[in-house]
Order: sequence, then structure tokens, then C-alpha cells
Amino acid sequence: MFSAQSIAEKLAALDRRIIFLLVGIVVLIPLLVPLDLPVVVSRETRDFHDEIEALSDSAVLMLAIDYEPDTMAELDPMTLGVLRHCFRKGVRVVALSLYAGAPGIAQRLLEKAAGEYGRAYGEDYIYLGYNPDWSGTMLRLGESIKATYPKDQWGTPSVDLPLLKNVDSYDDVDLLVCINGSKYAEFWAAYAQARYGQRMVSGNTAVMSVFIYQYYNTGQISGFLGGIRGAAEYEKMLGLPADGTIAMGSQSCAHVLIVLLIIAGNVGYLLARRAKRKGSI
Amino acid sequence: MHISSDIGIWIAALGTIAIFSFLYRENPVFRFAEHLLVGVSAGYYLVQYAHSGLIKKFWYPLTAGGNYWLVFGALLGAMMFLKLNRKTRGWGNIPVAFYVATGAGYLIPSVMKSMVLLQVGGTIRNPFAAGNSAGDAITTIVIFVGVICTLVYFYFSARRTGVVKHVSRVGMLFLLAGFGATFGYTVMGRITLLIGRFQFLLRDWLGVGI
Amino acid sequence: MSRTAAIIIAFVLGLFMMIQFFIPHPAVTGIYNTLLDIKQIVLGCAFILGVLSLIRFHAGRIRQKQAGGWYSSAALLGLAVMVVMALVWGTEDGPYRWMFNNVQAPMQATMFSLLAFFVASAAYRAFRVRNLDASVLLAVGVVVMLGRVTLGTLLSWDIGGQTLSLAGASEWILHSVNVAAKRGILIGVGLGMIATALRIIIGLERTYLGRD
Repeated sequence: MFSAQSIAEKLAALDRRIIFLLVGIVVLIPLLVPLDLPVVVSRETRDFHDEIEALSDSAVLMLAIDYEPDTMAELDPMTLGVLRHCFRKGVRVVALSLYAGAPGIAQRLLEKAAGEYGRAYGEDYIYLGYNPDWSGTMLRLGESIKATYPKDQWGTPSVDLPLLKNVDSYDDVDLLVCINGSKYAEFWAAYAQARYGQRMVSGNTAVMSVFIYQYYNTGQISGFLGGIRGAAEYEKMLGLPADGTIAMGSQSCAHVLIVLLIIAGNVGYLLARRAKRKGSI
Repeated sequence: MHISSDIGIWIAALGTIAIFSFLYRENPVFRFAEHLLVGVSAGYYLVQYAHSGLIKKFWYPLTAGGNYWLVFGALLGAMMFLKLNRKTRGWGNIPVAFYVATGAGYLIPSVMKSMVLLQVGGTIRNPFAAGNSAGDAITTIVIFVGVICTLVYFYFSARRTGVVKHVSRVGMLFLLAGFGATFGYTVMGRITLLIGRFQFLLRDWLGVGI
Repeated sequence: MSRTAAIIIAFVLGLFMMIQFFIPHPAVTGIYNTLLDIKQIVLGCAFILGVLSLIRFHAGRIRQKQAGGWYSSAALLGLAVMVVMALVWGTEDGPYRWMFNNVQAPMQATMFSLLAFFVASAAYRAFRVRNLDASVLLAVGVVVMLGRVTLGTLLSWDIGGQTLSLAGASEWILHSVNVAAKRGILIGVGLGMIATALRIIIGLERTYLGRD
């Protein structure tokens, strides 16, 4: 028979590589054998979608692609969703980045979405590239987009870009969408929204989205996507299931595994505590 | 299953596996990949900083737009490199002071409005306003009570006795619940990053149809 | 001398950038815009300085023949290759972009994905129901974790005609209790940022200038 103490000792001595292996398996299997799980759309995602949906055909949307490769698994589905939504509707996109590692990602996603909908660079969308000094850039865009970014990512002078002919500050931008893996959404809210009254929504990594609820509650951020779940909900609203939807099976299984690990860890802890108490009597 | 024949995909897959090898134990392959990543990233960033900070923001507006004030920017930027020498390091603080102080100046009104005043306004709301459901009313009251208790918890100037003790205790429980929510979301984010890598290995490299 | 000059510059520019918010005059806005443009150039140079410091660090390791110097060679080689590729073939397409897509992006993404394994291991070893405080944290964490995935929608119960689900509980926690806790922190952080900014402007905060 196993005693409480021996079980507790076995649980405490569990090699972490066994846990790693379990995590790997529960993530891998649902990718090979997809689970068809329902996705219920939350109100913050619905608001995010509706803000873009409410834009007119020729509206201008500023898309800040503010993340690097470390978080692209979470944020690429959101950026692609926004671009497909805009290009499908005919909304014009002014994309830019405040992270030095973002241009490579932005280039790839813009080319992919524009190719799918046959949108032309310069007319339907532009990419202004990376600019140093994130806070100064957020403020400077409120005065002049062309002065903030004298050239686009490919070296074309901003004044020569047809899309920017009648667009030069937040006054000419109908909606700001910030897809970010950091605190940038909060600072877009402070500098673009609070100072210039720019209407905005944001797409956030799961870790950062818990800090966005308070801005959503005050109306400073009109809607947001939280992590891959937010991306899956947005894909459902668009009717374009993609990587966010595919990920939900693995995501669900991995969360269950972690809850089971927490329970197992606590069983070991409680058994060890009981054995210790018995030993001390 | 159609394994990729793209050399780029193969290099990406091998790099991915090299980093994953750390899960077994630290090894030379992982350390090589780690340092290569640092170098390649630094090179990528260096080009982006030089291209955006010096060419797009300085040289082009100066030569094409005649904005000669930007020369001050270049001079200040050049002074930054004085920090590399022990004797001239002090003068390298001039651009640092410029950068820090301008940021500090414009931060004050914007942060005061966005992070303080609007948040206080969002806390003090009428729970029984027209159009509010019973659920909305409860949420409004919970937010109000929670914010007050949390702020009392952080008010270290008051002695933790009597009412203050109990209120700050409730504040702490709110904070712990908030951290619990952060933990739940953190797990979600980290797992997603792993799913992204597995999707790459299966779909792009091995050609398994997902 | 340089230190005094830095403190005077901080006072004048900090004060100006603060009060310009309240003076919408074209002349003031013009100076404000120029200062923002200059700041972006300065920061670009600061970042370049950061990369140069990295090069100095790795070059030092190679020169001093320290353990792991071979790895530093790999780092410097990677850096040099990227710069040369950008100078020769440009940044739009070509090898510079290829290296980003096939070397930097996948490895950087994988490096961060390792956290998935460690967060699971940490959850197993560190999350203990030791007392009420730890139990609250754990309970909310589990509800949010399960409620934010599709499983939370499936786990629901009918109680007195009302449907209660983990997804609903998670949603309510995030929109109420979480907002209260994070807002309490945010107001404190906001006031702290403002206090620090004021201390920088009036010269009480000088740590950013380094030691005397």
C-alpha cells in the first residue's frame, strides 16, 4: 500500500520534464485531431467588430502594429482579421509600427491580406514603418502624420502617397486600432484618445488584456480583443475561421491540464502536511 | 503530409528545435542558437534604428524639406555617443536630460487625465441610472467598493487598526482576485505562443493539414 | 558643469512641454512639434548606442578569451551579416528580410513559447492552498483559466431557472472585481508617474543622470 507520505514524496519529486512532455502532448494532439468547440462572442469583441463594421466604405483606419515575433502567435490572427475586415469593406488602412521588430511582421501580413482582396499599395493601404520614440510619435501623429513619417517603409515620400492626400492627423482618421503586446494600448489611450479625442479599439495579448477592462469600462477604449480567445471570437464574427479558431482546441486541453496539475500539486502538499502533523504527534 | 522543400522553412524549423532542446537541459546547440538570435536581432534593430532615426527623421526632412532645426537633434544624438568614453560621459547626459524631461513634461497632463481623472470618473457612477439592469448596478457597486478598498490598502500613511484594517483587508482580497485573473490570462497567453510554434512545425514544415 | 546644464535643460523643457498642453497657440505648437521631432532623432541614436554597447560587450568577451567567447563570435557574426545584407541588398526584400522571416522571427517566437512549459511547472509546484489569500487567488485563476476557453461555456448549471456557467462567472469577475483591483493600482501608478515626472522637472530626481 502507498502511504500518504510516499505519495506526497513521489508528487514532490516529479521530474519537470514529465510535465513538459504532458504540456507538449495536450497541445499537439488537438492540432492533429481538431476539436470542434463552440466559441461564444464576448461583448468587448462584439464592440471591437462593430466599431470597424460601422465605418463607411472610404473611411480611414489607422492600424498600429506594435509587436515583435515573440507575441505573433497571439496577435497575428488579430492583425490579419482587421486587415481582412477592412479590405473586404473597402476601408483604407494607414499602418505603422512603434516597435523596431514589427516591420518584418507587418510587411508579411499586409502583403498577404492585400493579395487576398486585390488591394493596391498607396491607394487602399500604406505602411509607414517604424518610428523611434513611441510616446512622442503618438502625440506627433495628432499634429501631422506626414511630418511624423516623412517617408513610408519603402522610401516613398509621404506627400506622394495618394492615400495621404487628404489625411494628415487624427482629425482625418476615423478609427485607431492598436494591436500590441505591451502597455502601448494604455498609452495610445492617454496620448491619442485622452488628448486628441481619437476613437480607438485595441487587440491585446492575453497577459495585457486584464489591464484593458478598466479603459473599456470608462469608454476610452471602445472595444478590445483579449488573447487568442478574442481573436477566435473576432474570426467567428467575420465568418473567416483561421488560426485563432484552430488554436482553441489545444488551448482548452492545455488549460484543463494546468488545472489538473494544480490539483495534483495541492494533493501532494496536503498529504505531506498531514503526514508531518502525524509525525509530530 | 508534404514536407517542405523550402530551405528557409528548414532553417526556421531547425532553429525552433534548437531552442526547444533547452527543455531537456542546457546544451551547446541551444547556446549557439541563443547567441545567433541575439546577434541577428541586434543587426535587424540597428538597421531599423539607423534607417528610421537618421535617414527618415533627420536626413530626408533636412535635405528635402529644409527643416534646419533638426540639426540640433543630430547634435544631441551625436552627444549621446560621448557616453562611450569615461572622460566625456558627463556631457552625454545632456541628450538624456532632453529626452527624459520632454517626456516627463508631456506625460503629466495626459496621464493625469487618462489614468487618474477618467478612472475616478468611471468609478463614481450612479448604479441605479436609467437603463441599468440589476447586474449593471451590482457591478457598479462592486467596482466602487473595490477601488476604494484597494486605494485604502495602498495608503501606508494610516495605521492599520480599526476600520482601516478591515477595509484594507478587503482591498487586499480584491487585489488577490485581480492577480488570479492575471494568472489565468497569463497561462492562456503562454500556451498560445507554444501552439503557434507547433502550428509552424506541423503545417509549414511537415505539411500536416491543420 | 555638464550636470548643472542637464538639470537646467530638464527644468526648462519639462516645464514647457507640460504647459504647452494648455496653450493652443500656433507658435507654441510649432516649438512643441520641433521638440518632438528632435526627440525622435535623439532616441534613434540612443538605441544605436545600445547596440554598440552590446557589440563592445561581446567583443570584450572574445578579446579576453572568456568562456563562451565562441558564442559571442556567433552573435557578432549574426549582427554583421544582417547589417551587410541591409547595406548591399536593402531592407525591402532580399536576404535581410529573409533572415528576419526564417531566423529571427521563428527563434524569438520559440524562445518565448518555452514559457508555456515553465508556467505549467510553476503552477504544479508553487500554487498551494495555504490560506484564504492563496485560495482566493487560486480560485479566481482557475475560474478565469477555464472560463476563457470554450470548455467554460460547456460547464454550466441550471439553478432556479438561471443558467450559471464558468464562462459567465469568468466574464463577471473580469468586468467587475478585476476592474476594481486594476483601477486601484492604475490610479496609484498614474499618480506615481506624475510625481516622478515633477521631481525630474524640478531637479529632485537625478538618478537618470547616473552617479556624480
